[in-house]
Amino acid sequence: MNVWKRLLVATLLLAALGGLFVHEAATSDARTPYPEPHELAADYDGHVGEVALVFGSVRAVDGSDIVVEAESEGVTVELRVTGASAAVEPGGVVQVYGELRPGREIAAQRTVVVSDSASAEWYKYGVSVVGALGFLVVFLRQWRLDRETWTLEARDG
Amino acid sequence: MADLLTHFLVAFSLFTVASWRVDWLDRRWLVVGTGGAAIPDLVKIELVLDEATIEGVLGLPFAYTPLSTAGGVLLVAGLVTLAFERDRWRRAYGLVTAGGILSLVVDGLRAYADGRASAWLYPVTNWRPPTPSLYVSSDPTILVVALSLTAVVVAVDRRLATE
Repeated sequence: MNVWKRLLVATLLLAALGGLFVHEAATSDARTPYPEPHELAADYDGHVGEVALVFGSVRAVDGSDIVVEAESEGVTVELRVTGASAAVEPGGVVQVYGELRPGREIAAQRTVVVSDSASAEWYKYGVSVVGALGFLVVFLRQWRLDRETWTLEARDG
Repeated sequence: MADLLTHFLVAFSLFTVASWRVDWLDRRWLVVGTGGAAIPDLVKIELVLDEATIEGVLGLPFAYTPLSTAGGVLLVAGLVTLAFERDRWRRAYGLVTAGGILSLVVDGLRAYADGRASAWLYPVTNWRPPTPSLYVSSDPTILVVALSLTAVVVAVDRRLATE
């Protein structure tokens, strides 16, 4: 198959992928029934009493309470999490599942510490970069790009 | 999600085990399948170009989330397959898809505060499968487990090769 035909198929696949990117965002309520951060920022009081699942970065730790900042659609909302027995530092990332209370508070029923500090986040990215580089080295030992046909060729023939 | 290195190691180990039974699954094809394991991690493109920016330009809702779902894996695997010669497409597509789905399964085991994994079978279903909440993404234990698994598999593989 020549390069132009392949480019055409690639364009079709990319269009389908783009379609999914839009469709998923437009229908996300069907998968996650919880209010999103931008919805909370727009009308917090309208969601009081609802149960939410919030993915937030820890801004501050105040005794047993933690203050998290969650973001969606480029809008952030700050929430005080009560009843979370989570050992975290500012810069960490937590998931909080609980009921929304008046005054931008969420009463945690369950908390998951995704990263306990900013350095745990860096660990994750650091290890991923090592993985990516390691894979490239292994892959390029087996395959090379043929610049005439623009296809991958096995190195051993 | 688990870190990218863990995804690669789990896929590499399982494809190596599969290669003991499947004759054509040699080292070069094994790395192709392993590469597929990175597809769900492409969702991290968000760190470079965020969704809100694209929404602003398009004027439409937009999310990278499908990259970490079955639908995204099937489509991206198709794009990767195009980089191979025509007579190798079936093999390449099957392996890359398998690698991607494997990472989705591994990610489906991580912790969620409400006990349900993300809807990674999208767009087939909106259902969020229950998760055993085995780990969180920044937990080094998962990498240690993956490294140990790989070490055992590679040792057995060498042994089989010399027999």
